[in-house]
Amino acid sequence: MKLKILSIFCSLLLGIVPLAIAQENADTASVDSTAVASPAPVSQLTAVDTDNDHGHSISLKWEPSPDDGAGLKSVIGYEVYRAESPGGPFVIRAALPSGASSHIDVGAKEKESGDYMADYTDYYYKVRAITADSLVYSDSDVFGPVQCYGQWFNTGRIPVLVFVIGFMCTTILLIQKAKSGAKLFVRRLAGIEAVDEAIGRATEMGKPILYVLGLGTAADIATIASYTILGRVAKKVAEYQTRLIVPCYDPITMTVAQETVKTAYADAGRPDDYNEDMVYFVTQSQFAYVAAVNGTMLRERPATNIYMGLFYAESLILAETGALAGSIQISGTDQIAQIPFFIVACDYTLIGEELYAASAYLGREPLLLGSLKAQDYAKAAFIVLAVIGFLTINFGIDWFKQLFYISN
Amino acid sequence: MKRQIPLALVFIFGIFHIFQYFVPHESSEWLYEFFLKWIYIIGIFALALGIWSLIRVSWDKVKHRRPNWPYALITLGGLFAMIIFGFDYFRHFFTAEGLQNYMFRAFFDYILIPIQSTMFSLLAFFIASAAYRAFRARSLLATLLLLSALIIMLRFNPYLGFFGDYMEKTASWLLNVPNLAAKRAIIIGVGLGMVATSLKVMLGIERQYLGKD
Amino acid sequence: MANSKRISAIILIIVIATFLLSWIIKAFNLEGSPNNTGLWFSIRDAFFITIAAFLTLAIFSFLYKDNPYYKFAEHLFVGISAAYWMCVGFWSTLIGNLVPNISSSLSTFFRVPYKGLHFTYFVPLILGIILLMRLSSKRGWISRWALAWIVGTTSGLNLIRYLRTDFISQVSNTFIPLLVDWKGVGPFFSHFSLSSTGQFAMTLSNWVIFIGVFCGLIYFFFSKEHKGIFGTASRVGIWVLMITFGASFGYTVMGRVSLLVGRLTYLFRDWLGLIS
Repeated sequence: MKLKILSIFCSLLLGIVPLAIAQENADTASVDSTAVASPAPVSQLTAVDTDNDHGHSISLKWEPSPDDGAGLKSVIGYEVYRAESPGGPFVIRAALPSGASSHIDVGAKEKESGDYMADYTDYYYKVRAITADSLVYSDSDVFGPVQCYGQWFNTGRIPVLVFVIGFMCTTILLIQKAKSGAKLFVRRLAGIEAVDEAIGRATEMGKPILYVLGLGTAADIATIASYTILGRVAKKVAEYQTRLIVPCYDPITMTVAQETVKTAYADAGRPDDYNEDMVYFVTQSQFAYVAAVNGTMLRERPATNIYMGLFYAESLILAETGALAGSIQISGTDQIAQIPFFIVACDYTLIGEELYAASAYLGREPLLLGSLKAQDYAKAAFIVLAVIGFLTINFGIDWFKQLFYISN
Repeated sequence: MKRQIPLALVFIFGIFHIFQYFVPHESSEWLYEFFLKWIYIIGIFALALGIWSLIRVSWDKVKHRRPNWPYALITLGGLFAMIIFGFDYFRHFFTAEGLQNYMFRAFFDYILIPIQSTMFSLLAFFIASAAYRAFRARSLLATLLLLSALIIMLRFNPYLGFFGDYMEKTASWLLNVPNLAAKRAIIIGVGLGMVATSLKVMLGIERQYLGKD
Repeated sequence: MANSKRISAIILIIVIATFLLSWIIKAFNLEGSPNNTGLWFSIRDAFFITIAAFLTLAIFSFLYKDNPYYKFAEHLFVGISAAYWMCVGFWSTLIGNLVPNISSSLSTFFRVPYKGLHFTYFVPLILGIILLMRLSSKRGWISRWALAWIVGTTSGLNLIRYLRTDFISQVSNTFIPLLVDWKGVGPFFSHFSLSSTGQFAMTLSNWVIFIGVFCGLIYFFFSKEHKGIFGTASRVGIWVLMITFGASFGYTVMGRVSLLVGRLTYLFRDWLGLIS
């Protein structure tokens, strides 16, 4: 009896225990199959100071994780961390999408800013490969120390330096050539040749001449070119004893224009005829200035209107009013958008660069003619470079175009 | 001496800014930003010169009873009224709240803005009168100007029917091809002219703006 | 003469009466409006709206001929705008930018936060005062120093800026292929198409750009007479320029007309209330 019970117990034991063990193994096996291993980290992380900048910036590069966008361990992005010591604490600096292999960590230059990144300070970086599960990620090795600092020369702007030096040398050489007595030809500019005729007409009619310097400031190049023309016009006007009206938009332009006209009257031998109220400030508001000049045109009825300088939308209002008032109009501006309106409404128009050439054309001084010749040489150089560029692009040669690349 | 020092200053500051462009270092950037800020501040002092000129010319007209002298009084009246409101004299003497003064804002909103907008809108009339006068095709150049303007103006016209599509394509080609070419030529010329004039100013060749001793 | 004066006087009376009436009507219309804050405010707002409408019509009257209403509006505009920019410049630049960096007592007086003493801000102050010396006939020459500073600074900046954007960038942007997607004569003819994105159209466009830029630049050559082949190229250049100017003209027409629409909307909606 006892033997029977013992045998039943043993058989049971032999049957149940393996089953229990098998069940336990099965449970253990299902736990193992749902755990996710961390993805492979990025490799070859390097960090260097960003080139050609004012500092406060470090450039990072790395090889993306082999698990980037693949399988269960799919890397969906990267996070860049920075610390001031190898052990941390690390602060997140950027979150990048999958496939990213570089990043420029830019900090603020102001100490008061929360994002301040000091120059000549050791920084340490690591890049974290992240997955869809925020708890599953892997960090690269920490790279550092690396320091950022500003450069003293921007090598990305070498093409500009080459052209600046080239243009300056060409200009100086040609000025020397002009000074040594070489004859430099300047083609006819119809607009400028008409100025003398227009001044003569105004004198015969006993009407004044209106000269508008435009809406530029005293330092704008178009305004500076206009001063030269104003000087010539004022000198002629002084010789013919015609009245000149110069309403100004900018107060500094007004002071310079006053000097220019005063000098012109002195050069013409009529310093006493100069009246400071010929050149006056109107207002620094665009359309108030136009309203005032329009009023002047309709009341004073000038025989000649000369518009030389920087103009904006008001160009058509001025030119049309002058045309309706029956004045001869000569204009010149470098604003491409306004040239069509001047062409349509004025009798003569200096297009773009012709405004700058006018000073050389009027004075025929060697210094100015030499500079004009340099401009033509630069245009010729452009044509040659463009032809070379066309040919290289057609034959798939890219390095020539890269020579003109300017980084920021 | 009276001209030599300004010419030297022009050269020094001009060359400095050329060098500054190639030096990205923080100290160079700091100087550049300061120079730009300084220009705005100096410009305000220059405005005082302009206002003085305007007052003098207007008062001269009134004093000598030149033609239209009553209107010069209106100019002076408007000028001084706006200054008083702008400095908010009656409420707080010299306070930055002047620009928030009701009358100052009202003058801006109901006088300045309407007149400015109306002057701008006069362009609609003037562009029509300019087109009427200019588009007479008296020469080949005028004809080219007229034709290209017409094509661009008519490109979105819904009443052209069959030709509308071709007009739009032609207009698009005109804007993207010959327009681009000519603008590039003008831009290059203007750019070179500006560079040359800047150089002439820095080297003291162009010195008309300094006047005479 | 007496007749024209009488006519002018009658017109003036009619204009004043019309706008007075418009003011009164507008005041009562505003009184009934949802955001109304009382009769006094309605009268005040109606006054300003009427003034704005009067000045608008005064400027439009210029299209007929110069007249006293236009002169009034013009002179008022000049005076007010000059003072406006002076006030804005004074408060925003001098008091907003200069004073907080040079004096704590002035900052307190003008009620702006003091930012500490920065000696660098004394430079524009001194240059500005030097510029004002222009008013003196004896010491006026010293204002050239401030002018020289401004002119020198902007010349240096402009030289670099325009060389980079208007020359170097234009050079590289002009490098376009003269034979687009060229694979030989056979494929060209077998795949011939007039589509704008097709090989033929793009090649033709690139040639037009090349010739247009080339001839346009030749037009701007000043140191050689425009004769012979050079003259022909220059003439082609001015033709291309004229096409451009015509295109620019046509492009801006609609924009300018829309400005007029804006102004008319103000008159018919805000003043007369004829449209909602």
